[in-house]
Amino acid sequence: MRAVCWHGKHDVRVDTVPDPQLRNARDAIIKVTLTGVCGSDLHLYNGLIPGMKQGDILGHEFVGEVAEVGAGVTRLAAGDRVVVPFPISCGECWYCKHDLWALCDNSNPNSRLLEKAYGDTGAGIFGYSRLYGGYSGGQAEYVRVPYADVGPAKIPSGLSDEQVIFLTDIFPTGYQAAENCAIRAGDTVAVWGCGPVGLMAMKSATKLGAGKVIGIDSVPERLDMAHIECGAQIVNYQEQDVSEALHNLTGGRGPDACIDAVGMEASGTGIAGVYDAVKQTLRLESDRAGALRQLIMACRKGGTVSIAGVYGGLVDKMPMGAVFAKGLTLRAGQTHVQKYLSPLMELVEKKEIDTTFLITHRMALQDAPAGYRLFREKHDGCIKIVMDPRAPSRRAH
Amino acid sequence: MESIRSGAGVPGRNRRQKRINVGRSERKASVIGGTTLALTGLKSFTSKRFLPGLAMVVAGGLLIYRGKTGHCDLYQAIGADTFHSGHSGLRIEKVLTINRPPQQVYEFWRNLENLPRFMQHLNSVQVTGEKTSHWQARGPGGLSIEWDAEMMDDYPGQQISWHSTGAAELPNKGTVEFTAAPGDRGTEVKVCVDYYPPGGAAGKAAAKIAHAINAQQLEEDLKRLKQILETGEIATAEAGR
Repeated sequence: MRAVCWHGKHDVRVDTVPDPQLRNARDAIIKVTLTGVCGSDLHLYNGLIPGMKQGDILGHEFVGEVAEVGAGVTRLAAGDRVVVPFPISCGECWYCKHDLWALCDNSNPNSRLLEKAYGDTGAGIFGYSRLYGGYSGGQAEYVRVPYADVGPAKIPSGLSDEQVIFLTDIFPTGYQAAENCAIRAGDTVAVWGCGPVGLMAMKSATKLGAGKVIGIDSVPERLDMAHIECGAQIVNYQEQDVSEALHNLTGGRGPDACIDAVGMEASGTGIAGVYDAVKQTLRLESDRAGALRQLIMACRKGGTVSIAGVYGGLVDKMPMGAVFAKGLTLRAGQTHVQKYLSPLMELVEKKEIDTTFLITHRMALQDAPAGYRLFREKHDGCIKIVMDPRAPSRRAH
Repeated sequence: MESIRSGAGVPGRNRRQKRINVGRSERKASVIGGTTLALTGLKSFTSKRFLPGLAMVVAGGLLIYRGKTGHCDLYQAIGADTFHSGHSGLRIEKVLTINRPPQQVYEFWRNLENLPRFMQHLNSVQVTGEKTSHWQARGPGGLSIEWDAEMMDDYPGQQISWHSTGAAELPNKGTVEFTAAPGDRGTEVKVCVDYYPPGGAAGKAAAKIAHAINAQQLEEDLKRLKQILETGEIATAEAGR
């Protein structure tokens, strides 16, 4: 089959690789019909996540059709259309039983690596390095899905792949980020990063009762989308002083909650930005946290800082004094997708939230290398790419 | 210091954070060696060899600390303990919580022939009598080792302990405790194994095995046990472990 394989920094290729096989009784093989490129795939593309090896298959956003199930699978049968959550969760450990699916004890065969890095392990993730288990991803014609009775949700007839694909990651991720803000009616929620997760967080915040959402970014088409699709007030951090703009937009109080939908590759500004860029290049600091520092400084007293963007390691110059002095609440973590899948699928089915507006580029899987480049450089208004594993290439090779 | 017991410690004792894990004679040697090293290091300052001198002072200081306190971070990191395991023994202790009731975890373990399913270094365990069994393990380089074992304690749902019998190539004993975890979290499984690598050429080979069956290995074994009991299978990814 064809699959998008990682070969190094800024080097992904479409390789012909062996089809995946059932390995355990609870596995299923899914024939992928649509797959997305996620912002967090860019961290791999940019070489910032360790534990990648040449030939690793990427991709953790995919929907498809069940092709084959193991002897222990009872809830799915060949032919079922399913959406597959990006965390791999066993459904049996204490964490899964408590709706903390992304913290699954059992699904990461390389748990010792994360234990060394973080003190304990998280769930395995499709196509996301040896650290997260070394599972092959879904930017491929077929993918093996462990614990198939637990994660995959059947797609109601009448919904297209494009309508449900973002339930795999970015919609629940934005929703969890908003839910972590404990929004009360009329609250103002500011969202750093108007990429797909940020936009989903804005939609979710409004759904959860926010009176005002504010989107912060520098890419014009992203700010436009935040304004037009999510009804957000927008702040361009390259044109305005963010703290001052937020101060003025909130009657001097600051936002009640701030969401970080940027993560460890923030494009810093000023001296701190240069500092981060230099230290990260020299590997003296693993994460550039320009956005997070701003969030903490801007948030109102007693407010919540909700972190959806991915961080991998160490951050310098954290304004802990501000966290303490203002009595902030910090919430963070990978998304417990399985917890949100069913309620959010219902919102999509009832047409209360439509996520297809995010898709700016539809491509053949074959054209993935060009897609990754486009997405990284944010050219051509690129916000979200989805790929069809079986469509013919539209590019001359 | 007078209360040092010569035999193996009782599992669960001495849980202070900086617990003693260096044996008595080893501690004495640490203090003497450490002092010598530190003095040599200080001397090299006079001949302006600052960096090696500093390294010797630091290493010497660490050895003295290890000797005076009886605590060694390196031993702790690798799960070794020469204080509680008696003469030339090596202790490995690991604990893990499994989201299943103690009786179920106990029963799975009590069926000793299940052990090779999650203990990677075991080829087979054969039950040979009511209390006796025959074990076959492999070490690095395809080295094979066998021994007979006898069960000493068997408290259903709580504890099993065993020791090797006869002329075992690698004498060993161990205890596994099953305790109900608080708040409906299942069972805390605590394993404590003592190995006694003998001297001589055979001892070297045995020590290699003892090394392979180190703390990390036991921890990975317990994770596999947890996976089998909780999910019915061992987590497997394309990239392998």
